Amino acid sequence: MSEVPDNLSYTKDHEWMLIDDDGKIRVGITDHAQDALSDVVFVELPEIGSKYSEGDAMAVAESVKAASDIYAPVSGEIVEVNDKLEESPELINESPYEFGWMVVMVPDKKLENSLDSESYRKLID
Amino acid sequence: MSLRRTPLSNHHRELGAKMVDFAGWEMPIQYSSIISEHKSVREAAGIFDVSHMGQIFVKGSDAVKFLSFVTTWDMLRQKDGDCRYCHILNHKGQIIDDTIVYTISNTEYLLVPNASKIKEIMDWLLDNSNDFNVIIEDLSDSYFCLALQGPEAPRLLGQHLNTSVNSFQLETLNDVIVSGTGYTGEKGCEIIGPLDQVEIHWEALVDMGAIPIGLGARDTLRLEKGYLLSGQDFKGTETTLDTNYAWVIDWNHEFIGREALVLQKQSDYSKLSGILLEDKGVLRPGCSVYYNNNKVSELTSGSLSPILRKGIGLSYIDLDIDSEVTIEVRGKHLNGRVVRTPFL
Repeated sequence: MSEVPDNLSYTKDHEWMLIDDDGKIRVGITDHAQDALSDVVFVELPEIGSKYSEGDAMAVAESVKAASDIYAPVSGEIVEVNDKLEESPELINESPYEFGWMVVMVPDKKLENSLDSESYRKLID
Repeated sequence: MSLRRTPLSNHHRELGAKMVDFAGWEMPIQYSSIISEHKSVREAAGIFDVSHMGQIFVKGSDAVKFLSFVTTWDMLRQKDGDCRYCHILNHKGQIIDDTIVYTISNTEYLLVPNASKIKEIMDWLLDNSNDFNVIIEDLSDSYFCLALQGPEAPRLLGQHLNTSVNSFQLETLNDVIVSGTGYTGEKGCEIIGPLDQVEIHWEALVDMGAIPIGLGARDTLRLEKGYLLSGQDFKGTETTLDTNYAWVIDWNHEFIGREALVLQKQSDYSKLSGILLEDKGVLRPGCSVYYNNNKVSELTSGSLSPILRKGIGLSYIDLDIDSEVTIEVRGKHLNGRVVRTPFL
């Protein structure tokens, strides 16, 4: 059974979002997504300062078998990326909700289309 | 059409395997993780259910002559118990399939073609057997094949069947054939026997510590060694010389495709070479390869070497070893070079 923490928001594309007090959004992929991808062996992250619209491919996670796009869960600017993933992409598998985070974004507007943990659990059931 | 299953299908599911369609068979692609399964084979011992592969028996007084005629190898050179990897070619020298030929005796041979090629190989063998006193039987549906591979494999084989096999030699134990073969580049064996015995062997070897390995790791293991994948590295138009496998040809005998290969030998042609990615990334089949900013080829195979932790691939290319190339991966040009295989 995949872990779906209650304190996070989710997208139907299997990303999680943690909304900080200052309005920034930390983004990663869910336990369900990392399990489906299997061993992540390479991660391509966006540049700090780059801007994406909601639904744009902003990063790529590659497993041995396939490359998967990671979509911007919200329109906004990338202000931080998890450099550790360059040397240790397996952090996404080992710790999808903590050490395997991918980017921090400053959103253009408030989150609207996200799912709560219960809705996301239903989606992956 | 529903997918075919080996008798071990439920075992694979119980072990948590992800199942995929492979050549019309529902087969495990991975149990836990391709990377950890790959390392288990390089460092300990893995077991593969490869019961989808074919078993074609060729018997009769002309078996030696016939198989020498339809393969790249002169079977007169085989002694009882020898196994030989070779190619089966059409008249243009193009590979129909690669196979290991098992010499059970000089009147009984076993061929193990790829699952997707069994029918084509059967038809080809039958079509070319008119002048030979042979009986060709496809017993693929009655036999299992398990591969036990890795540095610990000989110890497990000894523990399980109280036997040992040398590289490319076979032993027959009652109705089971054990051969020092495989497709990982590691020590080990393949066990071929009647289908209803497969669970006994699988369960015993898994209980002794052999790690179940899926087709995902089978692919990365063979690619690190530069071994060909049927339907990917050759798919109908490539010759044995193209694949850079001239060592499987015995030129001193007549065989189908020889004439075409002799002609090709006198010309320039692209050979299947290794491509090693210097930049970080993963290579994929179909990625374009560039030399001096010109596209020169595409990758036939591509992945990540779990041991080297670098992108590796194969491509038909007419460039010297160590030539610097770029490979287009998802729109970006990454640096790499042409290398000799095996990659490790």
